[in-house]
Amino acid sequence: MGGGVLLVLVAAITLEATSLIQNHFAKKGITEEASLRAEAQMEATRLEILNVIDQAEAAVRSMAWAALWGLDHLDTLPALTRRIVADNPVIIGSTVALVPGYNKRRPLYAPYACQAADSDSVIIKSLATEEYNYPGKEWFTKPIETGQGYWSEPYLDEGGGEVMMTTYSIPIKDRQGTTAAVLTADISLDWLTDLVGNVEVYPSAFSIMLSRQGKFMVCPSETLVMRQTIQEALATVQDTASVNSLARDMLAGESGSRAIPYKDITEYVYFAPIERTGWSMSIVIPSNEIFDEIRKMNWLVKLFQLLGLVMLVLIIRSVFRNQSKYRQLTESKNRMENELRIASGIQMAMLPKIFPPFPERKDIDMFAAIIPAKEVGGDLYDFFIREEKLYFCIGDVSGKGVPASLLMAVTRSLFRTVAAHEKSPQRIVTTINESMSDMNENNMFVTFFCGVLDLATGHMRYCNAGHNTPRWISDRVQPLPVVPNLSIGVLPGMSYQEQEIDLKYGDTLFFYTDGLTEAANANQELFGEDRMDRCLDSGRNAQQQLSHMQDAVNAFVKEADQSDDLTMLCIRYLNPDTPDSQVHHLILHNDIRQISQLANFIQTLSEEKHLDPSLAMSLNLALEEAVSNVIMYAYPKDSDGLVEIEAILKDNLLEFFISDNGQPFDPTEAPQADVTLSAEERPIGGLGIYLVRSIMDSVSYERADGKNILHLTKQI
Amino acid sequence: MDVIITRQDNTTTARFIGRLDTPASQEISKEVDALIDAADGTLILDCKEMSYISSSGLRIFLTLRKASSSKGGKIIVRNINNDIRQVFIMTGFLNLFTIED
Repeated sequence: MGGGVLLVLVAAITLEATSLIQNHFAKKGITEEASLRAEAQMEATRLEILNVIDQAEAAVRSMAWAALWGLDHLDTLPALTRRIVADNPVIIGSTVALVPGYNKRRPLYAPYACQAADSDSVIIKSLATEEYNYPGKEWFTKPIETGQGYWSEPYLDEGGGEVMMTTYSIPIKDRQGTTAAVLTADISLDWLTDLVGNVEVYPSAFSIMLSRQGKFMVCPSETLVMRQTIQEALATVQDTASVNSLARDMLAGESGSRAIPYKDITEYVYFAPIERTGWSMSIVIPSNEIFDEIRKMNWLVKLFQLLGLVMLVLIIRSVFRNQSKYRQLTESKNRMENELRIASGIQMAMLPKIFPPFPERKDIDMFAAIIPAKEVGGDLYDFFIREEKLYFCIGDVSGKGVPASLLMAVTRSLFRTVAAHEKSPQRIVTTINESMSDMNENNMFVTFFCGVLDLATGHMRYCNAGHNTPRWISDRVQPLPVVPNLSIGVLPGMSYQEQEIDLKYGDTLFFYTDGLTEAANANQELFGEDRMDRCLDSGRNAQQQLSHMQDAVNAFVKEADQSDDLTMLCIRYLNPDTPDSQVHHLILHNDIRQISQLANFIQTLSEEKHLDPSLAMSLNLALEEAVSNVIMYAYPKDSDGLVEIEAILKDNLLEFFISDNGQPFDPTEAPQADVTLSAEERPIGGLGIYLVRSIMDSVSYERADGKNILHLTKQI
Repeated sequence: MDVIITRQDNTTTARFIGRLDTPASQEISKEVDALIDAADGTLILDCKEMSYISSSGLRIFLTLRKASSSKGGKIIVRNINNDIRQVFIMTGFLNLFTIED
């Protein structure tokens, strides 16, 4: 699982890093976008304001000549102002105010036209009143001072309601260049709050518009509008350095942007002046608002990342679980296979394995062997004696693996069951075939040979069901005459043919499965029946036949894998009245290291014949001396050769035959060692044959059939 | 077959353990050479754990015996079992060695 955790960790880190980078650039982009949006908004607002301003200025300027003319005809002036108001929707009031004392007859004169509060009609008032005192008003003095048009500080309409207003005024000069009057136009600024205040860039963004003197013209908190200046407002807040500098720049008519820390967040302020009026407009956007989307997006991204990671974890977990499931599966498969192998092993173990199987009987010599392949197969053999008859069988289930091995178990138990009461092999085979064909759903079959040997007479009845032709070894090796018949399990109702022969004493029957003839070497050559036949020899007992055969097969296949079970069964029919004799056999290569096997050979012999250990040791010594002689001298150096040792104990006479195919050599002619010599006089060698002679009763040499045969005897 | 050689002063003891048959005799040639080198002193061939000897083993004993006498050393065979003693008797080796128990 460690790899999985690491994987998730790496994925998480990579995701976080990418999202940080992405965040950074997104923030930058969003900030830029915010400033673009704010500037665009301000530009639009500015243009709209200027539109109104321009209209007012144009209206006033276009009437300047009329006002100049009116200086000489004062009674036309009220009509003039009325016209200005009537003709220009943006202008709600207008006056021509004479400079005091310019006209001797009317030292103060200022007819004022304005929109009636309750109707569309225009009424004329006079501003030349003592309480109003127009010559002291800013709108009057400033244009005269500067000689230019002037936009007044916004103010609240004193007459009707709380309408914010501003006045544009220009000086009117007579033909002599003397400033004679001031022409004005009042415009209502009530639309300004709507226009400016309605910034739609961000939900909680707001705008502030300041007058030339810092008065709030538009502001989110309406109580401040026209009542306080920014300077007064700032005096009430702490830590205002950045705000102060902002206010300064705004009042100086500059444009730009500022990031102002305010409480926990940063406010982005974009500001620009409105020309001619001296106003300054600003849009304030809280940073959290600017980055709100990015934050939302971040949340979304995080959510997706988390989702992805969770999915990754789930995937990894499921992969791990699958792996462990797979492992469990493999384990349980292995376990099952092992159990089946064990089961087949048990089955195999139930086959008669103890040889000789009937040690008390002198009429029968049997040996059998199954050499199982790696994969379990379906070879079987079985035998038992009932009523002085030997019932035996050998078989090979088609296919390999557990099914074959199970069918083999079934076949074997059927044989046991049926042969327990049937005397005829044909009946046995037929009955087994019926049972097997009935339940054989896998179309598996068994090649099978069943025989019943009457031990008293040597008469054998047998039935072959498609099995490999056995060998009958009497004076020669020949195939046992068999009709092939069908394998067991192929066809229900099949009638099998029974055959019979009479065995002589000493006859041997050799049965095998195709694992023997089809044993393949690395070149894929098969062992074959010819090689098999050459290995069979009437001179051998059952065990020797099999061990010879096995050696030959091993020498043939060498390192190649055994692909099929190899099963052999050998039955030798003997004369029970033959005196007790037993032949022991050993074959050695001409390698001096093989000498050590003699010890085991003698051990087996002495255990069987209950020989005295001292005698066993001296027999071992005699044999070693004779055999090592052959190993060292019979064959040319570095050439392969065999030494065959046969031990026969009949009655109380022990005979050794030591034979080889080497160059003729008679050890009995070797000079006798003189054991009476002193150490200095004695030659190093020559003791071997002397010891053989000393230990054994007789030593004789014979050269026959191209073999050296040394014959040793000892009465025991 | 194992041969364990120990040395004390001028005395070299060789313990023969196992069967001294023909292959074993060939295997212990190094140890035999070492014993021949030490044959000018006292050689003790301890056969307490030796269960078997063949003529090739006897040849080694004879070789050591010859080396010992030619170098002016001394050779003692110890603790041979009865079976081996029979072989020694049979081959006249009993007269060639000082046998101790």
